[in-house]
Amino acid sequence: MTDEQQAPDPPVFDAVVVGAGPAGASAALALARAGRSVVMVERGPFPGAKNVYGGVVYGRVLDEVIPHWWEQVPVQRWVVRRSTMILTDTQAVTLDVRSQAWGAQPYNGMTVFRADFDSWLAQHAIDAGARLLTSTVATGLLRDGSGRICGVRTDRPGGDLRARVVIACDGVNSFLAKEAGLLPRADATHMTLGAKEVLALPAGVIEERFGLGPHEGLDIEAVGGTAGVPGGGFLYTNRDSVSVGVVVSLNGLAASGRRPEDLIASFKAHPGIASYLKGAEVKEYSAHLIPEGGYSTMPELATDGLLVAGDAAAMTLAAGIWLEGVNFAIGAGLEAGRAAATAIGTGDVSAAGLSGYRRALEASFVLRDHKRLRLAPDLVLSDRMQQQYTKVLCDIAEDLFTVTNPQPKPGLVRIMRRVLRRHRVRWRDLARDGLDTARTFR
Amino acid sequence: MVAVCVAPTDLRPEVDDLTGTVRSDLRRADLPAAEAAALEYGLRIAEEWGGWVLVACCGSAAADDLLREARALGAEVVRVGTAPSPTAGPLGPLGPLGPHPVAPGDLAGHPAATAAALAGAIRGHGQPALVLCGDRSGGAGVGAVPAFLAAELGLGQSLGLVSVRTEGVGRLVVERRLDGGWRERLAITGPAVLSVEGAGVRLRRAGLDAVLESAGAPFDVRSPNGSQTPPGEPVAGGMHTSASRPYRPRTRPVPAPTGDAHERLLALTGALSDREPARVVGPLTAAEAADELLAYLARRGYTT
Repeated sequence: MTDEQQAPDPPVFDAVVVGAGPAGASAALALARAGRSVVMVERGPFPGAKNVYGGVVYGRVLDEVIPHWWEQVPVQRWVVRRSTMILTDTQAVTLDVRSQAWGAQPYNGMTVFRADFDSWLAQHAIDAGARLLTSTVATGLLRDGSGRICGVRTDRPGGDLRARVVIACDGVNSFLAKEAGLLPRADATHMTLGAKEVLALPAGVIEERFGLGPHEGLDIEAVGGTAGVPGGGFLYTNRDSVSVGVVVSLNGLAASGRRPEDLIASFKAHPGIASYLKGAEVKEYSAHLIPEGGYSTMPELATDGLLVAGDAAAMTLAAGIWLEGVNFAIGAGLEAGRAAATAIGTGDVSAAGLSGYRRALEASFVLRDHKRLRLAPDLVLSDRMQQQYTKVLCDIAEDLFTVTNPQPKPGLVRIMRRVLRRHRVRWRDLARDGLDTARTFR
Repeated sequence: MVAVCVAPTDLRPEVDDLTGTVRSDLRRADLPAAEAAALEYGLRIAEEWGGWVLVACCGSAAADDLLREARALGAEVVRVGTAPSPTAGPLGPLGPLGPHPVAPGDLAGHPAATAAALAGAIRGHGQPALVLCGDRSGGAGVGAVPAFLAAELGLGQSLGLVSVRTEGVGRLVVERRLDGGWRERLAITGPAVLSVEGAGVRLRRAGLDAVLESAGAPFDVRSPNGSQTPPGEPVAGGMHTSASRPYRPRTRPVPAPTGDAHERLLALTGALSDREPARVVGPLTAAEAADELLAYLARRGYTT
């Protein structure tokens, strides 16, 4: 008997989920609840160890799968204030929305530490029967004799993991999706770089400085304030720290020759932000690519034996006033898990058998929102929006509230004319962009 | 049986600059380099002696994943300690994977008690042929546990070893640092407690099948009180110093240079050869230092 004949067959799972972030844990949860054997392969020592995000997690997507999730989720603060800022170097126009309803059940958004949140979500999948393999990197796809994907290779000795379906939730720039031919060569145009610092501030100072109650949080999203590099900044409150950072166009960053940490420093020094951060001490620095291209840059979501979800499928929604990623990853992960479970049940895990995934996403908020807002990423990151309109808006607001007595007030239309002329914005462009904006956000 | 004592620790805890308070997150717990080396030595010795490895840990359940990894390497595992209660923050419990208190177990910071508990746990599995530890734990350890452990087990001790190799079954040759750059070589023929530095060997990775098999599998968990036993009688063991001399690394033979005397001299000294002399470039800001490093790597062809 040869060694090959003696070697035991490698275990075959119904599904292998690569990545135990929000998409991966949700996919594993759905599969495990459907009674399927599933293993999550996570490169970090625990779920969330490698993840970065820049804002708020909206948890209502969990209503169906984890009843009363808000009673157990490892939240930092419930966001009751949401500010959208338009910044120039010396000006700020802010739309500040506050709702106490967001601070009560069933809540709206929350700030979390991803190490806590991702671990918590993965633990639900484990409790449902999924298995977790940490500190293990999926290095490639396994294919059977016919070329169909039938598992993944890992970097462990004897590291072939066979499965009927592979769900790639391996994050932005997914190597597995690329290897499967689903993801085209990365295009920097559709990527942004998020870089952030976590700064320690006592909880009491945060609550006093930001006008918050205990457990209440604030999320600031800013357009501009990034030293001329297309993009924006953010600031959100944790329990006893604040996270502050920038999200900038990758091409813009490269062209500027600036460093991400310079841009964070620039954002932190903005007069509209600096006072919030007085006395705060940097605890942590992190950075991550963000796939902001949206609907038009999404890869094929399924092929024979493989599904793609979360950032790996460019599912981060970057639509100006809406900046969401984790909830889209969870929504996509759940649908991927359900579709995979159904396909395994029918015995057809070909692309056709897995096509229910896309149909489910199209029926859910994941692709409906992305499809509706598909023009938003280009619009938000356009030069006019980034460079001209921020200044126009801030100047109009400044002129509107500047009292120049004994001269009478000039009137809004006159101010607009003056400001548009100052920044060389043509009415025709303004009208067209206004129409595009209306069409994008209708 | 070769026993290996470990204490997984958060190797990058946060320290409050003002108060000195240390905050650890045991999800980040890992084996300190010295304990990883001890485990690798233990596995190698057990393979060569035809024995088996017992990994003994004094700590909380937060270390269980790491212990299962050790089990996947073929070791038996015993943990002395209590399961941590989930930390209940002001906003609710964080669940079993949430942050845990600093202490990995009730015995942390008490080397004598830790050693007593470990000794009891080891004896519960048999009489060890050898006990291996890291020279110090990754937390606030001072390296006292191995000595206490030797006393508890009644074994000889050799601490702070830089290399351990077998010379047949039941016989080891070990080397340790002495003051003044000297090294001491010892031959060990009987049961002993050894502590090793985190150098020289790299812990192997467990195979996929073994990891999957060990995931979630239960192992021996004992309470600190239940595992303590009276100190053992001294065991007669052979341990003697075979050499004690200044450390002189082995010479590395290189081909003799060729050519005339001048050329040979140049080859031997490296004089006039094209090289980049060392230069002081600091103090620099972080950004400038990064630029300097990247430029250096690019010049040397590492980033092309």
